[in-house]
Amino acid sequence: MTAQEVVTRLQQRLTEEGIQWRAQTVDTFKAGSPDTEVRGIATSGMATFDLIRRAAERYRNFVISHEPTFYNHLDQTANLTADPTYLAKQQFIREHNMVVFRFHDHAHMLRPDPLIIGSARALGLTPFAQPDNPRVYTIQPTPLRVLVADMQRRVSGRAMRVMGDPEMVIRRIVLGPGSGVPALASTPEAFDLAIGGETAEAGGNAEYILDAAAIGQPRAMILLGHMLSEDFGMQEVANWMRPLLPGVDVEWIPAGEPFGA
Amino acid sequence: MSRMLTSRLSRREFVVAAAGSLAVARPSAARQLTAGAVIERIRASVSVPWNEKTVDGLKAGDPSTVVTGIAVTVMATLDVLRRAAAAKKNFIVTQEPVFYAPNDNPGPRETDPVYLAKKDFIEKERLVIFRFSDHWNASRPQAAPLALADALGWSKDRATENDRLYSVPPTTLGALAADVRTRLNIRGGVRIVGRSDLPVRNAYVSPGTTDVPGILAHLPRADVVIAGEPREWEAVPYIADNVTAGHAKGMIALGRLVSEEPGALVAAVWLKSVMPELAIESVRLTDPYWSPRA
Repeated sequence: MTAQEVVTRLQQRLTEEGIQWRAQTVDTFKAGSPDTEVRGIATSGMATFDLIRRAAERYRNFVISHEPTFYNHLDQTANLTADPTYLAKQQFIREHNMVVFRFHDHAHMLRPDPLIIGSARALGLTPFAQPDNPRVYTIQPTPLRVLVADMQRRVSGRAMRVMGDPEMVIRRIVLGPGSGVPALASTPEAFDLAIGGETAEAGGNAEYILDAAAIGQPRAMILLGHMLSEDFGMQEVANWMRPLLPGVDVEWIPAGEPFGA
Repeated sequence: MSRMLTSRLSRREFVVAAAGSLAVARPSAARQLTAGAVIERIRASVSVPWNEKTVDGLKAGDPSTVVTGIAVTVMATLDVLRRAAAAKKNFIVTQEPVFYAPNDNPGPRETDPVYLAKKDFIEKERLVIFRFSDHWNASRPQAAPLALADALGWSKDRATENDRLYSVPPTTLGALAADVRTRLNIRGGVRIVGRSDLPVRNAYVSPGTTDVPGILAHLPRADVVIAGEPREWEAVPYIADNVTAGHAKGMIALGRLVSEEPGALVAAVWLKSVMPELAIESVRLTDPYWSPRA
């Protein structure tokens, strides 16, 4: 099977699920040739250089990445053509006969959204999901500090950041993947905690949480980091793909947290 | 002195003045200034033409209010407003938004008790809030990188031709991150991309939004990027890929507000030069994040 044939099969399955392939989408081939024979597939949160190397070591020459390969949403490379890092990455991809495809917009269109499901599973929230809304979780009242420590242990987070009083009691949680951190507000519901990957650090939840605390209405936000938020969802995507591609090895390889100690 | 800092103050003096005490308790002169007059003076004195397409301007309050003093902050939270009011400063200059959106339009939060409480406090205390971000950051010399570098102890290490490049005392990425964390009183966890033993001699200082074009322009001459808010699908993986490619590069991400605060507070010095008759002070924000590893 070629990489293009794999993508065509995914598109067919999406159609069967009532999801039409969008004319305008970032879900395109980013590097390598679509005609390349696929030896194995690696799904991941991001096709970082490190991830591509690890995929190659495991003989997965087709990387299906949720986030960009070349450092901007549209993977525009015009200002990178002389950049030694970009050139080294492209050279590695070429020499190892690899292909990178982005699966972002259409992954989020699947129901339920695998990026939310995967994040919830990684954080240990799955049993607490609201049946009709996988973004919303109700847990036994737990201090923020305790919840954060538990989640940090589960995802082995090194660079998680938290806003909110560590002692505030968390009961109702709203979860968003990647940069889709839910906006905290009082309506339609005053969630205690929003969890996501990354968000603008001013002009939204930041000053809202500080102001809410100032009037005695504590709220909290956990920023996992983009990869600790969305890597796990690409495991769900791998599980969704596997039965569609008999005979093709499909493996989830997390990109991993980019931040060190 | 208003036009301009460059003509009357050297860069060194500019930053030293910023680092000094900003509270000046001079009795107000005979003539009283309204908020509208203060805004007019800022618009007339800033070194770049006033652009009507801007996030800057009056965000709350009545322009006819007589100004009792100016408080300068990186972000006008309700806590900052309370501290300003307690210090009898009713004109607040903020770099970042007041009302939960980049353009300060509260949108669906317009009926939110948090928004209403903030609005009530502003009305009750007769505060006036002025956002000063686009024009302050367009002014030259740019306060943001100069003041951040000064807060890091690097004012003597500046490249002569570039306010964002510094030749710092030799260190490693890990040691520098620990030093930065202490100097800036960061709670939220300084985030590092790269090997902690990376030798660091040259730094690119990029407070606020740290984007890839800025990094591409400066990284050939820097070992480390001192970032504010780098997007994790843009600047962060670009540095991570540099590391994988074997290039001796790294990044230290401080957080947006922490990285911007030194430069935002320098506006107090400039405002004092424009309005010497007013008491002006800066109000600091504590790093709003905390890290479970700290």
